[in-house]
Amino acid sequence: MSELTHVLKLTLREKRDVSLAIVFGVLAGLASVALLASSGYLISKAALTGQMTVLIVIGACLKLFGLGSAVSRYSERLFSHRATFTMLGNLRVSFFERLSPLAPELYSKYRSGDLLARIIGDVESLQNFLLRVFYPPVVLLLVFMGTILFTVYFSIYTAILLAIGYLLTAVAVPAYFAWRKRRRDWRTRESRGALSAEAAEFLYGFRDLKIHRQLAGKEQQISDLIDFYNEEQRNEGKEEVYSQSMNGFIALVISLAILASGAYFTAAGELDGLFLAMLVMISLGVFENMAPMAAFPSHFEESRKAAVRLDSIVDEMPRVKGSSDLPEGGLSISSRNLSYVFPDEQRPALDDVSIDLPRGSKTAIVGPSGSGKSTLLAVLMDILPARSGQVLINSANSEKFSQESIWQSLNVVLQENHFFQGTLRSNLKIADSKANDDQLAAALERVELGRFSLEMDVEEKGQNFSGGEKQRLAIARAILKKGEVWMLDEPVSSVDSATGQLIYERLFNDYPEQTFIIVSHDLTGLEKMDQIIVLENGKLMEKGSYDELMRSKGYFYGLKEIEQQVMA
Amino acid sequence: MKDLKQLAFEQKSAISLLIVMSALRGAAMIGQAVFFVLVVDGVFIKNSSFEEITPFLIGLLLAIIIRSGTGYLIGRTGVDMAASIKKQLRLRLIQSFKEDPLLSSTESHSGQKVSLLMDAVDETDGFFSKYIPQLIQSYIIPIMLLAAIFSQNWTTGLIILVTAPFIPVFMAIVGKRTKEKADEKMVQLNRFSGTFLDILQGLTTLRLFGQGEKQKEKIKESSKNFRDSTMDVLKSAFMSSLTLEYISMLSIGIIALEVGLRLVVFDNLTFFSAFFIMILVPDFFTMLKDFGSAFHTARGSVSASQMMNEEFSKERKQVEWGDIELPDGKVPQLDIGHLSFSYGQQFELADVSLAIKPYSKIAVIGKSGSGKTTLMNLIAGLLPIDDGDILIDGKPRKEIDESSWFKQLSYISQSPYLFAGTIRENIAIGVNGNPSAKEIDEAARKAGIHELVESLPEGYHTRVGEGGRGLSGGEKQRIALARAFLKKPTIILFDEPTTGLDLQTERILQQSIAELSRNATVITVAHRLHTIRDSDQIVYLDNGRVAAVGPHEELAANFTPYQNLLPLQTGGAMR
Repeated sequence: MSELTHVLKLTLREKRDVSLAIVFGVLAGLASVALLASSGYLISKAALTGQMTVLIVIGACLKLFGLGSAVSRYSERLFSHRATFTMLGNLRVSFFERLSPLAPELYSKYRSGDLLARIIGDVESLQNFLLRVFYPPVVLLLVFMGTILFTVYFSIYTAILLAIGYLLTAVAVPAYFAWRKRRRDWRTRESRGALSAEAAEFLYGFRDLKIHRQLAGKEQQISDLIDFYNEEQRNEGKEEVYSQSMNGFIALVISLAILASGAYFTAAGELDGLFLAMLVMISLGVFENMAPMAAFPSHFEESRKAAVRLDSIVDEMPRVKGSSDLPEGGLSISSRNLSYVFPDEQRPALDDVSIDLPRGSKTAIVGPSGSGKSTLLAVLMDILPARSGQVLINSANSEKFSQESIWQSLNVVLQENHFFQGTLRSNLKIADSKANDDQLAAALERVELGRFSLEMDVEEKGQNFSGGEKQRLAIARAILKKGEVWMLDEPVSSVDSATGQLIYERLFNDYPEQTFIIVSHDLTGLEKMDQIIVLENGKLMEKGSYDELMRSKGYFYGLKEIEQQVMA
Repeated sequence: MKDLKQLAFEQKSAISLLIVMSALRGAAMIGQAVFFVLVVDGVFIKNSSFEEITPFLIGLLLAIIIRSGTGYLIGRTGVDMAASIKKQLRLRLIQSFKEDPLLSSTESHSGQKVSLLMDAVDETDGFFSKYIPQLIQSYIIPIMLLAAIFSQNWTTGLIILVTAPFIPVFMAIVGKRTKEKADEKMVQLNRFSGTFLDILQGLTTLRLFGQGEKQKEKIKESSKNFRDSTMDVLKSAFMSSLTLEYISMLSIGIIALEVGLRLVVFDNLTFFSAFFIMILVPDFFTMLKDFGSAFHTARGSVSASQMMNEEFSKERKQVEWGDIELPDGKVPQLDIGHLSFSYGQQFELADVSLAIKPYSKIAVIGKSGSGKTTLMNLIAGLLPIDDGDILIDGKPRKEIDESSWFKQLSYISQSPYLFAGTIRENIAIGVNGNPSAKEIDEAARKAGIHELVESLPEGYHTRVGEGGRGLSGGEKQRIALARAFLKKPTIILFDEPTTGLDLQTERILQQSIAELSRNATVITVAHRLHTIRDSDQIVYLDNGRVAAVGPHEELAANFTPYQNLLPLQTGGAMR
């Protein structure tokens, strides 16, 4: 339960809605019990007397309880859902607060949209926490307490039996099944994971499977896994039916016991028979409120797991870094014996890389795909921490500067640049909230997108723009940011080469004093760079100017030769 | 929903079990009420002793056991039925994926297909495990209860007959209204709920621009808006269910009054009948309401079922095969005659004719979208031929045995797929049976990956692919080459990488293809000038048609588009 403390706290922050929901929930429950009780009493009374007044009074009570129950139920739903959705909002904000400091590193470490989909799904699934986990037992407890108090007045045995019934159906049985579920849950998850992985292989590797005549074998494997997963789901489903039926059965047995004890004491003359029907009806009615508890074990497990997963994502402490600000003016950046290893990999993505990027220099990082170019850039810009070695900014260890101050001085274009739903204007203003329309339009002009209006809609992830347009917009955003150091990761790979060259030229002309570090898999036009850094398998192979590298006929020369052979 | 229902009713034994169990359960409910009432009637009205009513208590216990037991069995049957139908759906989906001719040529939509197989199928669960059992119970039990009520007091029965129909009618109106409301708010809801994801996705960008802090307010705002819009929708749903509940409460109230009147004023109803009716009536209405909520669950399955139907109803063409076995190790002559292929509206390849001599090297070139990959897939036998023929040593391919054809073929794509497993398994996938460690070493050596593998702590037992060690693009290429060296094919289809690989892989690739081509025909989608030059024939595709065929010298002399390519290649100014 401790895993859910945080969610519970967030839920309880909505004191008013939560307490109103509980009050109306209890009222609704009690009214429905009262309705059945009064109908039981009505019939018994009617069997004995011929008085119309009794009938009318009780009849009116019936109506009142019926209406009361329905209206309370309505209010209960309203308040509990309102509280839930407010809580979800709080949860999002609180999760965001914890994720925000970690995000750049996490995202580049795990490089997957899976992470985000999981976060969103888990946050959504926690909406069941109030509605189906926290709230039903509390309301039930109060309804039962009220009912038990009422029955004590007529029959202590009935009260005791109801208390036992509550403990069994609201506590013991759900707890037992939640425990069982937890024990076997991993098997369902595992079988699901296995099936989904095999299916992905089947689909992604279909051609290779077919040519290597392995399709039949794979199909057999998948169909076995389908069976396995199905069996696990079947067991899970049966378990749920079992828990539900068990609860229902216990409730009925308790009602039977109340009837039996009531009948015994009535026969013995210790209980007025007038109340017997009422007590039985109370028992039947109060247990009808128990229905939501049947789903409790699975919702509890789900909420618990979601909370654990969310916690595990943001559990990592943010990196401890110095809080110094960067010095004003241009920066020179170096790395000394820099290494980085991605989690769950043995081979370093960066291996002992030492480079110098003097202030005002233009450097290209090149190498085959997977050679560590983007990783080097990410470590240089302090998104990823160095595993060993260090990054120096103006000869000082970058660890002493805060991330904010480093990022403030960088104009970054990543391989994947995010665009938010909104307008072009709102997306550009992220770089400079004070920029006026003229400045924004000028930036667009610089990247040859002057024809775009600032009012243009930007859809989810900027999907209404082509890859090349998005790259150019990202450059426009970087222009507006006005940092000192440009860190560009294949910024024009989807832009046609003429425009790409034009944009580069403009940037170099407009900011001759500033430092440029550009990752490129394209080896043309590198003559203009002061320095070219060549990576392979995370290792620094060569560095030097274009002419130097071409003259030495080393690795870069080899790559260049291949490139001339390749026609896209 | 009709398709799902049909699937359910094909499960005859489950359905009959549900019918029998529902009837039993209905009987148990009536029995339970009878015994309850008999006990109360006994001690309260008839002043019986406890011993006299003991048999009724035992009867009641039996009724309770049957009621719970049948409830359990009904639930189980539902779960069983859902499980077996889901299994059937999954197998059908796999079958359908397999028969999709495009699957072998494109990797797109694979993610969607996995989610169809996993999530969409699971979404139908509620339909079979909850809705169908409830549906059958709702057909049987209320009628039984109504009959029992009629037997005791026909006026009560009449009141129910008049009021009960309001419930399903209202349910339909409620459902429709809520759906309309939800549809109306859909765009808004999606936008608000999308904001959170949007911000999370862009968090790196935001932080790099120093905008992290400001987003908290935005999340708060959109969450609040989301809440308010959702509450609007929910309010109308809750309001309707309030009305619904009120109708059933009202009916119960009217019945209570009527029963009371007849009991007190007219004195023509026994306590037994009155109490019996008062126990059964709420049960009756609960059954109807339960059906309503089950119906709601069922509706959630509909869109999933629609997605599956789309997949099932896709047009399928199969590659045709025969039973002629190809001789092992003999490099065949390939004659492609008037080959055409189109898919949907897309026209991909038309009237391609080509004679490929044994041991020749063919380069296929052309702009992207000119049909190069389609041609490769057609030759490989991965796509069905619309028109024309491929002759293998004079025999149409559709008369060749599928397995014996693929035994002769290797296809080295730009991004070879590594399966989850060890490096050894990934190389050995090239052949049937169990190749020896020596053979695998040998193949890996030829593909230039042996040293790298040996340098790993676990050597050939290193796990790669999903959940294993990541290999670089170049290393994957070399694994694919090792597969080919092990397999010793007579036909090699090779999709040359468009981007530069590391120098070592580039060198190995050239050497390996040269070596493999000594014992095979090699057809390459070529991107490197030396590959093109070294080919015996160059096939220039333009817009799905062969624009020119011939050796380098011939095309360089006579074919302008090819000539236009060349200065670019030799001049060094790439772009």
